[in-house]
Amino acid sequence: MTNHPTPTPARRRFEPEDRIWVSVGLFAALALTLGLPLLLIVLWSVSDRWAAPNLLPESYTLGTWMTVLSDDGVLTAAATSTGIALLVTLLTALVAMPTAWALAKFPLPYKRSIELFVLAPVIVPGIVVAIGVGQVFQMLGLAYTVTGVVLVQMVGTLPLMIRLLVASFDTLPDEMIHAARSLGASSLQAFRYVALPLCVPGLLAGSLLSFVGSFEEFDKTFLVGAPVIQTLPVLLYHHLDPYSLQFPLASVVALILLVPVLLVFVLSGRIMRDDLMASGMGKV
Amino acid sequence: MTQRPYRRLWALLCLLPTGLLLGGLFAAPLLWSLAGSFGLDSGLSGFTWAHYAQIFSRPTLRLGLWTSIYYGVAPVVITLVLAIGLALLLRHPFRGKAWFNGLYKIPMAVPGIIAALVVMTLAERGGFLDRLAAPLGLTLPRLIRDPWGVGVILTTVWKQLPFMTLVITGAFAAIPQEVSQAARSLGASRWRTLLWIELPLALPGISAAVLLTFIGTMGSFAIPDIVGPATPRPLAVHMFAEFGNGNLPLVYAIGMLLSAVAVIVLLAYDRLSERATSGLAGAGNQHD
Repeated sequence: MTNHPTPTPARRRFEPEDRIWVSVGLFAALALTLGLPLLLIVLWSVSDRWAAPNLLPESYTLGTWMTVLSDDGVLTAAATSTGIALLVTLLTALVAMPTAWALAKFPLPYKRSIELFVLAPVIVPGIVVAIGVGQVFQMLGLAYTVTGVVLVQMVGTLPLMIRLLVASFDTLPDEMIHAARSLGASSLQAFRYVALPLCVPGLLAGSLLSFVGSFEEFDKTFLVGAPVIQTLPVLLYHHLDPYSLQFPLASVVALILLVPVLLVFVLSGRIMRDDLMASGMGKV
Repeated sequence: MTQRPYRRLWALLCLLPTGLLLGGLFAAPLLWSLAGSFGLDSGLSGFTWAHYAQIFSRPTLRLGLWTSIYYGVAPVVITLVLAIGLALLLRHPFRGKAWFNGLYKIPMAVPGIIAALVVMTLAERGGFLDRLAAPLGLTLPRLIRDPWGVGVILTTVWKQLPFMTLVITGAFAAIPQEVSQAARSLGASRWRTLLWIELPLALPGISAAVLLTFIGTMGSFAIPDIVGPATPRPLAVHMFAEFGNGNLPLVYAIGMLLSAVAVIVLLAYDRLSERATSGLAGAGNQHD
C-alpha cells in the first residue's frame, strides 16, 4: 500500500494484502485470551457482589482497593519490592560490567567454560538454587534479610545482564579503543569515555529486564526471605491459597504487581529489538 | 593494544566479582546440595544412595517424577504447535500487524503467579467460562486443580506462547528467501517447502526454544502449586513440601535429579546443534 495512486477515500476498501480474515482471527484470539482475562481481573477488583450465574458483577465498589491501599502490609510489600528491584538492578549492572568487558575483549583461556558457568544459573531450577543458598544463608545469618534476598535474586539476573552486555561490547570495534589508547587515554579512560557510552542500549535493556525479573521473582524470594521479607509476589501467593481465595483481594494485589511490570515492559519494547527481548525473556 | 604481562591479571580482576558471587551463591550451594544428597554433609562415612533410591521406590515420588516430565512435555508440545502456526501467520503483512506484534508479547512480562490467576478467573469452577456455558446447558469439566493438570498446562501455554513464537519467528526470518523461492520455482508446493525446507532450516532455533521452555516448566513450583491438583504433584512441589518437613537429604536428592535432567538435556542439545551446524556448513560442498 506504499504508493496508492488515488488520494485516500473516506471509506477505504480492504485490499487482499490486508488479509483481513487473518487480522480478525488473530485479534479475536488476542481479545479472548489476553483482553478478556485482564478485564475480568479488573472487574473482580471493583466488584462488590458477583455470584455464580451472572456474567457481570451485580454491584461495584472501590472498597477492596481502599482496604488494600490503607493496609500497611500491601504498601510495605510494594515498597520492599521496588527497593529490592532497584538494588538488584544496580548491583547486577556493577558486577556484570567488568565481566562482560573481559569476556568480550580479552583473549581468555577456558573462555567457553567461563561462558557456560555464567549461563548455568539460567538452567538450574530456581527452587534448587534457593534451597541450597538458603542453607548457606542460615549459617551466615543472611536468611530472612533484604541483603539475602537481593543476593539470591542476583544469581538469576546476572547471567542475562552479562549476556546482553557481552553482545553490545562485541559489536564495538576494537579500533575505537585502540584509537583512544593511541591518543593517550588510559585503559580505564578508554572504557569510561568510549566503551561505556556505546553500550548504553544493552545496559538499558539489561537493567529493565533485571528490574522486571526481580520485581516479579517468586521462588527464590519465597524460600530465602518469607515470611519475614514480604514482596508483592509473595503476598499474592498467600492470597491465592485455594482454601481462602478471595478473587477481589487477589485481583487488587495482582494489579498492583502487574501495572509497573507492564509499564516497564512497554517501555522496553520501544527500545529493544525482538531478538534481545527473546534472549532476555528466555526464563520461565 | 600491546601485550603486557599484567593483562591477564587485569582480566581475572574483571571476572572476580561475578566469580565470587556465582561461586558463593550458585556453585558452592549446589556442591553442598550434591554432597548432602549422598549423605556426605556429616562426613565421608555417611555415603549413601538411599535418598536417590527413595525417589524411585516411594510411589508418590515416582509419580512425582512422571508428573514433572508430563508438565514439562505436554505444555511444550501444545505451545510448539500453536507457536509455529502463529509464526507462519506473522510472516506476511496483515492489517494491524504492528499492534498485534506489540500486544501478543504481554504474557512474557506477566509473572507466573498472575498467569495462574488469569487462568483461574476464566476456567475455575463457577468461573467465567462456566457461566458462559451454563445457559447453553453445558457444564465444563473440572479444569483447575484437576487430576490431569489441565490448569497447569493452560497456564504454562498462556505464559510461554509469546516467547516461543518470538524465537520461531526469528528462526524463520533468518532463512534466506532465495532458498524457499528456489524450492517453489522447482515445483514444490507451499506445504512441501514448509515441511522439507523451512522447518528443517529453522530447527536449531526451534529446538533451543523448546528445550529452554521444557527445562523451565519442569522445575517450576508456583504454577503447579496454585493451579495443579493435590495429587499427583510434580517433584518441585514435593521438594518444597519435604523442605517444610525438614527432610533435607531427600530435598537435595530431588534438587540434584531435577538439575541433572536440565543439564543432560542442554548438553545433548549442544552436541546436536554443533553437529547440525557443521553438517549444514559441510552440505554446500559435499554429497553423500
